[in-house]
Amino acid sequence: MPFPAEYSNVDLAADDLRRRTLSNMPAPLERLIYLGSTRDYNTGLYYHDGLASRYSEMVACQALANCHREAYQQLLQSSVRDLVQQVDSYVKSTRSAPRDFIAAWKSLQPYRVAVPAETDPLASEFLCSNVKIALAIWESLQFGRSRQQPGASLPQ
Amino acid sequence: MIELILSLLVAVVLLLTLYLFARRSKPSAEGSAQQLREARQTLDSLQVGLLPNDLVQRIFAKEDLEYVLSAAPADVRSLFLLERKNIALAWVRRVRGAVLDLMRFHRGYARLYARLSLSTEMLLALNFFSLLTVCQLLQIAVHLRGPYAAPGMVRTVATAAGRVCSISESSLVFLKVKQIDPLKNDPSRHGASV
Repeated sequence: MPFPAEYSNVDLAADDLRRRTLSNMPAPLERLIYLGSTRDYNTGLYYHDGLASRYSEMVACQALANCHREAYQQLLQSSVRDLVQQVDSYVKSTRSAPRDFIAAWKSLQPYRVAVPAETDPLASEFLCSNVKIALAIWESLQFGRSRQQPGASLPQ
Repeated sequence: MIELILSLLVAVVLLLTLYLFARRSKPSAEGSAQQLREARQTLDSLQVGLLPNDLVQRIFAKEDLEYVLSAAPADVRSLFLLERKNIALAWVRRVRGAVLDLMRFHRGYARLYARLSLSTEMLLALNFFSLLTVCQLLQIAVHLRGPYAAPGMVRTVATAAGRVCSISESSLVFLKVKQIDPLKNDPSRHGASV
């Protein structure tokens, strides 16, 4: 290994990030959106003030990138049922009005830009397709169009 | 006299044929390196293009279908089936394309370098043929009856593609030698997403 010290710092920074910040976000979807938002779209570099001050900008960037990929992989393995649950808990955490949230996510599709760099295009297309479906099911459950009416509820 | 001329003609033709064969099997060093690089890229792209097994299982998971059928309204059910169909077809096309690339390579260059045994070549040819046939059948099945029409065929394609990949890899093990293109094997190029 050419840079063992640097690599272990990245691991330490990633653990720090998981412990202090990501532990408050139980759903991979929430973590993906959050970590995607720490990336500068002009440079592709990740920024996190707290992490950069404790380690270095480069180490913080790499740690954020690693956690971002991790959240992406976890989300890829989620079933549609699980994704519907994750959308629900994400909306609750943002405290947005369901109608506003649905309108924004349908038009802006923020999950598309939240995908990490250098991911397989087919895998990311699969993920976006799953989120789109989960969103549609969540919407139908929220606004009473589901097949399970009456008394439709989110999966537990 | 005529016999002598004929013998000389045959000898010249034989020499010419030998010369042509010798030329074909000794490409320039530069050309060889380029071909080896291309071959390794083809092999790598096949391995990457196959997608991890757990992801393939996720794409074709019946669990999702059952949930959507039980929980979603009709328009969402149709959207789900359409989306999964497109993903499934894209996956089959990708496997097929990667296998065709590898096959093209084996036909064109591999035997010049890899010293493949006849049995390995036969085994590969058989696997290529069966994989392409199953891919074609799966494509038709998904087109006509949707992404969940042939789970057995999906398993067959995934297993056969993995098998072709490992046979190819073992027969072309020399392509993994780092000296071919040191830049490509630089560990610092891997893992960084920024």
